[in-house]
Amino acid sequence: MNKYLVFLEQREGVVKKASIEIWNRVQELAARHPDSAVSGILAGSLDIRQLDGVLGGKGVIYHANEERFLLYNSRHYARLVADTLKRDGATSLFFADTALSRDLAPRLSVNLEASLLSGCEVFDDAGVDVGCVRPVYSGSAIASFAPERSLRIYTISSRSTRSIISFGSHIEFIALEPSGFTSENLFPFVRRIAMRKDRQDVAEAAIIVAGGRGVGDAAGFEQLEELALLLGGTVGASRPVVDEGWRPHAEQIGQTGKTVAPAIYFACGISGSVQHLAGIGSASILVAINNDPHAPIFDVADYALVGDLHIVLPKLLDAVKEFLKKR
Amino acid sequence: MNIAVCLCQVPDTASVIGFVNGTRDLSRVNWVMNPFDEYALEEAVRLKERFAGSVVTLFSIAPGAAKEMLRKALAMGADQAVLISGTEVSDPFQTARVLSRAILDFYRDALPDLVFCGKHSTDFQSAQVPLMLAEMLGIESVSSIVKLSATAEGLQVEREIEGGIEYLDVRYPALFSAEKGLNVPRKTTIKGVMEARKKPIDLLQVTIDDRAFVSMTNVKPLERKKVCRFVSEPGELIRLLIDECAVFMSSGETNGGTGEPR
Repeated sequence: MNKYLVFLEQREGVVKKASIEIWNRVQELAARHPDSAVSGILAGSLDIRQLDGVLGGKGVIYHANEERFLLYNSRHYARLVADTLKRDGATSLFFADTALSRDLAPRLSVNLEASLLSGCEVFDDAGVDVGCVRPVYSGSAIASFAPERSLRIYTISSRSTRSIISFGSHIEFIALEPSGFTSENLFPFVRRIAMRKDRQDVAEAAIIVAGGRGVGDAAGFEQLEELALLLGGTVGASRPVVDEGWRPHAEQIGQTGKTVAPAIYFACGISGSVQHLAGIGSASILVAINNDPHAPIFDVADYALVGDLHIVLPKLLDAVKEFLKKR
Repeated sequence: MNIAVCLCQVPDTASVIGFVNGTRDLSRVNWVMNPFDEYALEEAVRLKERFAGSVVTLFSIAPGAAKEMLRKALAMGADQAVLISGTEVSDPFQTARVLSRAILDFYRDALPDLVFCGKHSTDFQSAQVPLMLAEMLGIESVSSIVKLSATAEGLQVEREIEGGIEYLDVRYPALFSAEKGLNVPRKTTIKGVMEARKKPIDLLQVTIDDRAFVSMTNVKPLERKKVCRFVSEPGELIRLLIDECAVFMSSGETNGGTGEPR
């Protein structure tokens, strides 16, 4: 019997889309393995009605309905997840690949003596063991990893294709007993969080308009901002742009920045170094705009426009506005 | 203050990695210090400069060319290095286990006040070793920090999360993994390089009997070249995207503020 436990991550009381996606993908996995069951764990006081109609399949969700869990605390979260896992009898634990799970899962792996497979892009479930496949070496290679322990933890990277589970779901919520955790063992203590309300994170955006050195200067990003706003997307940046101080590090995409998986990635004035390509391998559609017809970005792009950004971008903005007006 | 810094080596991104029958050929690889470890090291050296009497000790399992890397790190301002051998590690769990044994051995079962690691190694990007090490040492930890301020009593750090920043209070002893943005690593000076030659690199044998938690069963090159469609007019590009992509059809309604794709 395979018992899968999915951690449903919330931020400020809102369950992450990435976690919902993992739940649905694990439901698909369970559907392929008849002798299996899925359950979930949710930490923090929040309105569970937000999950109506978005979680597919069937199973129970353990809800630690406490305000103290609204902010991440590695010790409390580790205790809660470990206790719930034992109670549930789960053999595999799944997380979305996020800042939180990257912090929490390695501790759980040691604590529970569980194999930790990080950043999985594809489940490799040909056999009894579910392994994981993901890119390594800056995306120049792809590797398969297999768990050696009977208990497994997976962090699953986002990808833009959506699961196709049906939503005639039967999900039961079980409220967990109060944890009784005190503040004495609270360190490291999250004093507060500050979210950038005005924009999405590149790691979570469906459309990214990214700029490189070819944008010219910090002011040149205004047009990228405008395009991103029109498309409901967000702005990303290459490393030289961040090193120059034109854009914040939070927007950097690539080897020393973030790995992204948007539906559409616009690479504007980005030549396409190996380091940058390492971060965009999971983009569904890559559109490159560059004045150098030999830029390496064109080798991996789906659509290309060769031309001066300062001429192309205004035309592109006009074309998008035209489209939005007609619709 | 005793500060430990864990360093690892990664293939230079420009290096050629060979792949034969599902395994790697690393014989032609040029090894460099993991870029994120440079931020970890720089932060440790800055703390050493602020708190008199601090000692920065490097720990590395890397074989072969590791001494060269350790000399560079010593030239950046670390005081001494411990080069660990005796166990061939094959996964993050074993790596963390060996590092934890080495650190406990070196500090004679006391704990260093601070341990710094890079956020992840750029080759495998698992980001597991730092947190596993913290768990094994039984100390507090915060991953991917972008800012640190320390007093003798405690520390305040900032950590990047999706779409924002977490502000944390931490007590000693603690482990931090460094994200880009934490600092700008210094360049080595000739004086630093000269001094580094006199600094000790201890060799430490560590054997463990823990088996790996994860094994790599296959690795092969990833072909990424696509057939790119060149278009000449922005209007044509938009039409093509509309045809191909449903996300595009729903765009423009979120005003970029909802934080999640739909």
